[in-house]
Amino acid sequence: MKKIFVAIVTLALFSLIAGCDKGIEPEPIKTGVTGFSGKVTFIGNWPADIKRTHVVLFKNAITTSADFFPPNLSFVIDSIPYRTTSFTYNSVDNNFIPLFTLAPGDYKYLVVAQSKTDVLSLNRKDWFIVGIYNVGNDQSKPKTLTILDREMTTGVDIIVDFNNPPPQPPM
Amino acid sequence: MKKIFIFITLLPVLVSFAQSGAIKGKVITNENEPLINANVIIIGTQLGVATLPDGTFEIKNVPFGKYTIEVSLIGYGKKKISLLLTAKTKPVTIILTEEAIQSEQIVVSAGKYEQRVQDLSVSTAVLTPDNLSRKNYLTFDGALRFVPGVQMNLEQVSIRGSNGYSKGAGARVLVAVNGIPLYSGDTGDIVWELIPVADIERIEIIKGPASSLYGSTAIGGVINIITRSSVKNPVTHFSSYIGAYDKPAYDIWKWNNNTRFFYGVELTHSNSVNNLSYTFSLKKFDNMGYRQNDYAKRYLGYLKLNYDFTSKNHLSFFADFLNMNRGNFLYWKDSRNALVPKDEDNGNTVKSNRLFTGLIYHHSFNKDFSAEFKSSFYHTKFAGYGIELTTSTADLFRNELLTNINLSDSFVLTSGVETSYSIISSNIFKSPNFFGLGAYAQGVWKVNPNLSLTLGLRYDYMKLDTLKSANAAAPKAGLNYKITKDFILRASLGTGFRAPTPSEVFTTAAVSGGIDVKSNPDLKAETSISFEAGAIYNYSKNLLFDLAFYQNEYKNFIEPVLTNEAKIQFINLSRARIQGVELNADWFLVPGELKMKAGYNYMWTRDLEKNTAMKYRPLNSVSAQLQYSPYPFEFGIDFRYMSKVEEIDFNLTQPPIALVIDGDKRVPIYVTDISVGYSFLLNTVPAKIYLNAKNIFNYNYVEFIGNIAPIRNYSFSFEIFL
Repeated sequence: MKKIFVAIVTLALFSLIAGCDKGIEPEPIKTGVTGFSGKVTFIGNWPADIKRTHVVLFKNAITTSADFFPPNLSFVIDSIPYRTTSFTYNSVDNNFIPLFTLAPGDYKYLVVAQSKTDVLSLNRKDWFIVGIYNVGNDQSKPKTLTILDREMTTGVDIIVDFNNPPPQPPM
Repeated sequence: MKKIFIFITLLPVLVSFAQSGAIKGKVITNENEPLINANVIIIGTQLGVATLPDGTFEIKNVPFGKYTIEVSLIGYGKKKISLLLTAKTKPVTIILTEEAIQSEQIVVSAGKYEQRVQDLSVSTAVLTPDNLSRKNYLTFDGALRFVPGVQMNLEQVSIRGSNGYSKGAGARVLVAVNGIPLYSGDTGDIVWELIPVADIERIEIIKGPASSLYGSTAIGGVINIITRSSVKNPVTHFSSYIGAYDKPAYDIWKWNNNTRFFYGVELTHSNSVNNLSYTFSLKKFDNMGYRQNDYAKRYLGYLKLNYDFTSKNHLSFFADFLNMNRGNFLYWKDSRNALVPKDEDNGNTVKSNRLFTGLIYHHSFNKDFSAEFKSSFYHTKFAGYGIELTTSTADLFRNELLTNINLSDSFVLTSGVETSYSIISSNIFKSPNFFGLGAYAQGVWKVNPNLSLTLGLRYDYMKLDTLKSANAAAPKAGLNYKITKDFILRASLGTGFRAPTPSEVFTTAAVSGGIDVKSNPDLKAETSISFEAGAIYNYSKNLLFDLAFYQNEYKNFIEPVLTNEAKIQFINLSRARIQGVELNADWFLVPGELKMKAGYNYMWTRDLEKNTAMKYRPLNSVSAQLQYSPYPFEFGIDFRYMSKVEEIDFNLTQPPIALVIDGDKRVPIYVTDISVGYSFLLNTVPAKIYLNAKNIFNYNYVEFIGNIAPIRNYSFSFEIFL
């Protein structure tokens, strides 16, 4: 009888551990919008034959051609019309790929990129970086964009100077 | 002297009543088979007899009174029953349940010939069918979740971390019925509902690579299901169950006001006419599902014929047919709608038909030489109705010739050749065909009564459609050393391989939410080198320990990943490593009445390229089962724990893709089930009822992202043997 008692108590202890917790819970309702907004200003003459121009957000700097794609590629803003002089955007209304959602966190590389292909290309070599969200107007010093949960980060402005293009990441 | 002793012992009773009679009865198995030579004794006296060939017994000249009789037989659990003996006492029927107490009594055929567990060089677990009926598992895979070292990720089985989760495409554990593999010709998946549970004699689980005998799919282990042998007397088994899911743990998860039921009914009949014995079974089992669009409606038909030409030759044939119509729940909508699928998946259905047939001819030329020819045909056809119509029809043909030769009293040679060929017609896997040829030989040399060595080699040639052919050789060496009869060491070293399945190479289909699966014609076969060292220690006749250390090194390990083009594709990881230790204990606290099984598995897995854990592999897992069986009752508590898995498909759960919202929600797994059973006679016919409550704490967990595991549910089951 003692053995039965010990065995039942042992297993009951294991079971109690389980009984204390309900496991996975529903996520609380979130209010507010997570995102960023700003303005892109273009200086100089647009190159010929540009088919698409996007503000593109990366989690980390591009060190290999593979970094140009998900999961490092984190968000894409709608294409900016050709020869536009300035473009105001926000990540809620201008989400180019609805499949993408923006997570809170630090993003180390935000750029304006252009392509001359008719269809959206996923090859790194088809893209040219024309502007970088940077520190102190220095195109070689990318600025980290911090996205906060359920907050809209504003003032994320980028200047594109066609006469002074930024350094290109690896192809 | 004996009579004097009995007289003295029973004197008080004689004085009181001064009348005597006989205690009569019959001892049978769960399947109504008579048991011969079972010991029947009256507790507290020296009176007792052994049962006759028809299972009957009679203890004569017993004074009227109240007694407890105990029935025991090696290999079966003891039973005690109390009775009042009077002139009107009727014969009693006592049912014994199979129960192997020590490893030396368990025989397995996992090595393609019958061996005792204590003689093997690899870790092995054996399940008996009473486990299945006691717990009323809705499908066979439910029982595997409580086997130490075995993990289920939804319907996909993994032994010691061999598998992650890949929607059934490509298995690393070979599931076989009587040694005939049960994987489909297209996806290579296992459909657990197809397994004829009512005809199972035992389930053997080899925990480790077995490619040297079984070939490609056995790189992670083997689950071999042995069906029952022929019966001499007619046996009809009827079983039925009904159950319902409880309310979800959170009101917000409630998506339907109706009770969600599951139910099933099965009729099995076995008999023999002269040299022909047969078993047929019909089963219908439906499940409304605790999640929306997760229902299942299934019909299963099973036929087995066995013909004994002589005592040395026999032919067996079985056919197994499953018709299934089910909803296709892929991922939850989000954690606030955890029991509801994503909007775009709601209404997805899958209809399928499967026919699995096998033919086995066994011929014993003499006591030292036997051969077996096995032929099988597995037809699968499914149509998935979702974003797009997906269809696949596959026919897989297999033939195997197996020989066992006792070259001497101490050397057994097992060898064989097998071929497999599959034809596929599909709109998602293209329409490839596959051809495989394998040859194997394994020798077991009993160097002396305490030491045996195993050496085996298998060669395989594989050709998948237009891809370049591949071949592989899988050698293996094993050792079994009995330091004493109660302390046995084992070790094995071998290589394994797995060819990619047609679905892993050729699948091109939309999954959900804009994610496609992309084919990979460059996919290579994966290979492994495995080592295991273990020990069995019988501390006493009622307490057994089994300890094993294992290490598996994989090259070109095949796993699904999300590519740069946001498509899922199966690729070869460069290297992966799995190391672990597993400890199991079987303890019969009160022999015949109270037993406890417990197991712990520590498993360290690594993708050596990324230096991260491998996906869906827990670091720690524990299982414990306690069963108390004071006849005619049975009480059981089953508990299992798995630590929170470190790595999952984060690409599918996190931005920017975030296909499965809140998909990275995962927790350690704690599941507790309880069961109560009662055996009784229904007009002299043995019957049983069981009450089961599963996941009694209604703990919410996932085995795969966005898929809440079954919530608390209750069931009542009934079975009768005529």
